[in-house]
Amino acid sequence: MIKRLLAATSIATLCLFSAASAAENVEMWVRTGIGDAFKKVVEAYNSGHENKVVMTEVPFSELVQKYATAIAGGQAPDALSMDLIYNPAFAAAGQLEDLTDWAKSLPYFNSLSPSHVRLGTYQDRIYGLPLSVETSVFAWNKDLYKKAGLDPEMAPVNWDEITANAEKIRALGDDTYGFYFSGGGCGGCMIFTFTPLVWGAGADILSADSKTATLDTPQMRKAVDIYRNMIKKDLVPAGAASDNGANFLTFTNGKIGQQSLGAFAIGTLVTEHPDINFGVTLIPGVDGKPSSFAGGDNFVITKGTKKIDAVKEFIEYVYSMDGQKIMAKYGSLPTRGDIADKVLEGLDPRMQVGLKAIGVAKTPYTLQFNDLINSANGPWASFTNAAIFGEDVDGAFSSAQSEMQSIIDSGQ
Amino acid sequence: MTGSGSEILLPRRRRRRRSNWRGLVYIAPAMALVIVFFIMPVLFTGWMSLHNWPLMGASRWIGFNNYFRMANDTRFMTALNFTAYYTVIVTIAIFAIAFPLAIFVEKERQFVGAYRTIIFLPVVVGLATASLLWVWLANVDSGFIGPALKALGLVEKSPNLLATFDTAFLTIVVMVVWKIAGFTMIILLTGLQAIPSELTEAARIDGAGRWQRFRHLTLPLMRKTIALALIVSVTGSILAFDQFYIMTSGGPQNKMISVVYYIFNQSFVSFNLGYGAALSIVLLAILMAISIVQLWLLRVGEERP
Repeated sequence: MIKRLLAATSIATLCLFSAASAAENVEMWVRTGIGDAFKKVVEAYNSGHENKVVMTEVPFSELVQKYATAIAGGQAPDALSMDLIYNPAFAAAGQLEDLTDWAKSLPYFNSLSPSHVRLGTYQDRIYGLPLSVETSVFAWNKDLYKKAGLDPEMAPVNWDEITANAEKIRALGDDTYGFYFSGGGCGGCMIFTFTPLVWGAGADILSADSKTATLDTPQMRKAVDIYRNMIKKDLVPAGAASDNGANFLTFTNGKIGQQSLGAFAIGTLVTEHPDINFGVTLIPGVDGKPSSFAGGDNFVITKGTKKIDAVKEFIEYVYSMDGQKIMAKYGSLPTRGDIADKVLEGLDPRMQVGLKAIGVAKTPYTLQFNDLINSANGPWASFTNAAIFGEDVDGAFSSAQSEMQSIIDSGQ
Repeated sequence: MTGSGSEILLPRRRRRRRSNWRGLVYIAPAMALVIVFFIMPVLFTGWMSLHNWPLMGASRWIGFNNYFRMANDTRFMTALNFTAYYTVIVTIAIFAIAFPLAIFVEKERQFVGAYRTIIFLPVVVGLATASLLWVWLANVDSGFIGPALKALGLVEKSPNLLATFDTAFLTIVVMVVWKIAGFTMIILLTGLQAIPSELTEAARIDGAGRWQRFRHLTLPLMRKTIALALIVSVTGSILAFDQFYIMTSGGPQNKMISVVYYIFNQSFVSFNLGYGAALSIVLLAILMAISIVQLWLLRVGEERP
């Protein structure tokens, strides 16, 4: 009897060991709307490797909250594709694996997208590295330009031109509009597409040390005026006022003349909406100087996961020439500067605009990004909605300014 | 040996004690449920509310600071005001619709079963589902309401109902009344049907008119039923969350954030679980106070001859 028990135990032990060395399933969460890039690279990886990545898409407005709750409940995935702006907060909370040594051992570490590495770093330790790089860019529909009697190859360089073009496009008829933005309750959309207007002009919504809200500037007032003016002239579909980000890609319906989008949308447009003939340029600032938001995702590894090596193997594949090419083909810009040119070789030339945007792009570094900016109930989201669609612009400025400050102060 | 035989021989006091003990055994399962699913969570929430308790990371004892913080929290005060406003409007609207409907479907007449079913139907739809349905109905471009108003020539341009406070609030109130009125109607209908027909007959013979019968007979006899329906409606409205979360994300411009929504935000957006717990305890106290007042009013009425 004892013999038999021993035998059974040793077989069980053997099974355990062999399971440990055999293929692993890495559970990874990504936000919806990330485009095809990540899905395709996962497919490619899974078809050529023993380990598999099991990807779960979570609505992008809920990802942070779901991940935080999952960590608290011990149900978190092994890794997460996290909007880079949240990286500092999760690192500060001590919930992520320290990747410093491994990161620095990567031969191409110094050429990884610097903005991502900066956001992935907290108190000199690295907790996140770039997974997908996105910048915000300005897109225009060439067919609608042509129909409206505009030169389809001429990119607008300031907001007077954009407004004038929008009026001509709107004149085409009922459901054709000159401009679109997700304004209602999508703080994340507006930081991405709207703040470049003030960044280009040298202003910002937070001070450099993130300790002071600096929302109320002449540049921001000018930016608000530009958008209000377009609303007043009926150049923007009415749905913009209540869009919580669900219709961020409205440009793909072919009836929007111009819209600020993420570079990821270039890939989506090229692969899924080949009928839309569009041009891409940088988003002009209120004084004409262009800017952009350096966004996208870092990948992070949940503290304590047992599959850390499998995650690293997958990431090294993403960073390889093959991985980078797949990502780029479906719209994510190269994360590795050293091979960026080779990666983009033969691809849609409009991707180059996204790459160029990295040079002028900004990313705010704050531990309170969700509270301040991305939450549908945060001051930034209600500010853009109130200032652009509401009656009382001054009131919108003063209440958002003070609410931002009080959130910053309460978090110190 | 059965218990009854020996019990007779036991002294009185002991027998009573034993039957108490036996009673406890009978209610033990129910008590266990109440303790595990109500009392313990409330105690735990109270415990959390005395801490700085982030969603991630270690918690720290801060005494009653979370409660002091509330006094200066203008966003919480705004949420309280809004919730009270919403509760009053919705409760009045539901009664104004449900009472006539209950009277309408009380009498046996042709198709009355069908009427009752139709009015009750929205109740079986989940609130989240109903909210999503109405988001679509209210959509400015692809929805039904706006384009329909335009087609009827009532408005010049299809309105974006969820974009301004007034229209979004109205849309949500209409949705909630549509969804809940059937339930209130059923409660009221039960009350109406419990009134003995002899009483109404007698009143009729005594020469009471329709309005007099309603005012002096139906209403007083319906007192308990109305109170029940009121408590259900008020409690439900004070705890409202789904419709604001789904239909407007608390917007436009954060003007539609109910207390529960604010608690949700504090707990799961700002990750301040401790403060969220303190807010929950205060909300529980408010709810209990309101229910006690309502029940007390009901009892005061009963004492009257």
